[in-house]
Amino acid sequence: MTTAEASPLPRGSVRDPLHMSERKRARRENWRLLVHRPSFIIGLVIVAIWSICAIFGQSFAPHDPYDFRTDFYLSPRGSFPFGTDSTGRDVFSRVLVGSRDVLIVAPIAAVIGVILGVILGMLMGYTGGWLDTVLGRIVESLLALPAILIGLLAVTTLGRGSGVVIGIVAVLFAPIVARTVRAAVMAERDLDYVTSARLRGESSWFIMFREILPNVWGPIIVELTIRIGYAIFVVATLTFLGAGPAPPSPDWGAMVADSYQNDISGGFWWTTVFPALAIASLVIAVNLIADAVQSVLEG
Amino acid sequence: MRRFLLGRLASSLVTLLLVATFVFVIVNVLPGNPGRQLLGPLAPESEVVKLNDKLGVNRPLVEQYGSSMKDLVTFDFGTSFRSGKSVVATVRPALFRSVKLASLALIITIPLGIWAGVFAARRQDKFADRAVVMAGLTTSSIPDFVTAVVLSSLFCVTWKFGHVFATPPDGSSISKQFSYLIFPALAMVVLYFGYIARMTRAGVINALQSDYVRTATMKGLSDRRVMVNHVLRNALAPTITVISTQIGYLLGAIIGVERVFNYQGIGLTITDAVKAKDIPMLQGTVVLVALVYVAAALLADLLIAYLNPRVRLGGGG
Repeated sequence: MTTAEASPLPRGSVRDPLHMSERKRARRENWRLLVHRPSFIIGLVIVAIWSICAIFGQSFAPHDPYDFRTDFYLSPRGSFPFGTDSTGRDVFSRVLVGSRDVLIVAPIAAVIGVILGVILGMLMGYTGGWLDTVLGRIVESLLALPAILIGLLAVTTLGRGSGVVIGIVAVLFAPIVARTVRAAVMAERDLDYVTSARLRGESSWFIMFREILPNVWGPIIVELTIRIGYAIFVVATLTFLGAGPAPPSPDWGAMVADSYQNDISGGFWWTTVFPALAIASLVIAVNLIADAVQSVLEG
Repeated sequence: MRRFLLGRLASSLVTLLLVATFVFVIVNVLPGNPGRQLLGPLAPESEVVKLNDKLGVNRPLVEQYGSSMKDLVTFDFGTSFRSGKSVVATVRPALFRSVKLASLALIITIPLGIWAGVFAARRQDKFADRAVVMAGLTTSSIPDFVTAVVLSSLFCVTWKFGHVFATPPDGSSISKQFSYLIFPALAMVVLYFGYIARMTRAGVINALQSDYVRTATMKGLSDRRVMVNHVLRNALAPTITVISTQIGYLLGAIIGVERVFNYQGIGLTITDAVKAKDIPMLQGTVVLVALVYVAAALLADLLIAYLNPRVRLGGGG
């Protein structure tokens, strides 16, 4: 329920100091609720650790992640906590720096997808009519496409590269975000502050992005955190299937892909299982954050 | 009911048409050079042009679009670029195997998920509830190939319960097939269990707070009857929708699982086509998967309409 009727002042004007502070207060309150959730803190810590490893990992890794050695397939032991792989490279050092590509590509894809989705959902929800119907049909059909499959098709025809992966993930996420934003906008559309802006003669763009947008940030932020989790999922899977951005540096998905076939059946589980667990930990962490954000902003 | 059915059918067809269009845009409209992609950077330009002619990507776009829509209607997706066999003939047995694997996964997941959802909802906000919700959230966020790799290395290699190569030999008995399929199926169960459990939980909590459940309890019905006839009947509609929308994703997720377990299904067909850069094969497979998805969504809508007269008589939905 919104407070449009209850509040003595029209809600939502950006310049109104009273409401600025109300919004700021709400933001502070939400943040306080968030940091009191253990799942949020755990998720944040894990993501922070992997981000630090991605940026600085190379400088504190015990061995050079690219360095070939003659003692291959050493089982995990003191100096090689995760063992060594088929060419004698240290699996631990490779896992440390292996999040780099995923941590760059996935968030960018998610952010672009959310921006596209917000624009689309805003147009659908605010304008309504035939535009809503037509876009709605397109959105629904895009939902019928498994992201992985389309990613594979796009990479095969357009070539491998971060740009293609980012583009395809963004385009496939946009309709999902659009659906959420559309619903939120429809709930706002007929409130008094929108009507008064319309009567003031404001343009549709102003009403959509200066009046309504600040009031639907909640679901958008929730959607963004969820989408980042899915983007990591999709990018890691595409990399595993050999269709991700061609990695110059070690990459978890690629490490699993390179090793699972021969190493696992040979009993050398560590070359596959450690990068796999690293992927799992990152995705779980992001989803813990998303879940906490969702329950604070929507619950 | 007839109007509802026709409306649903029409919208499914529109969806399929749009999917085919989207695939068309990726392959034919976006600036790519399939011939160059296939032959690699070292091939002479004349060969690339010849191949593009053969693929038909040099024709006017309208003509290409027309022929690709004709393929959709006539259910002819061309011939595989590598093997020269028809795409439909190659995909059909693979799709059948994948559907078998996905069905086994669903047969395990659906009752388990619904049971866990009901279990959690009846203990709302207690420890057991939080535990189910957290477990569901965690497991459903792990990519399926990760689960598959861990399951395969633990159960199939270390403990030797299952098979690393999960394609059962032709003509093996059902129990033997089951022993091959169980671990790949479990990897998918881990992924989907959480969605179904959380959706059921939300639906049941919603229904438990309704007037009709209170009435049913107060008129002295047994707990069991209230649960089955009143709560579940209403709570399952969103769950059914989720299951049906997840079938599309299921066929997406199956790719990683099949790859890990070397299961000769649609996923392996797809990744092989990617490796061979077999564009017609990929294109056809994507449309076929979308077809399965649309059919599943249609079936789910009918099931919901059957369970809930409000949907089927309300016209539309």
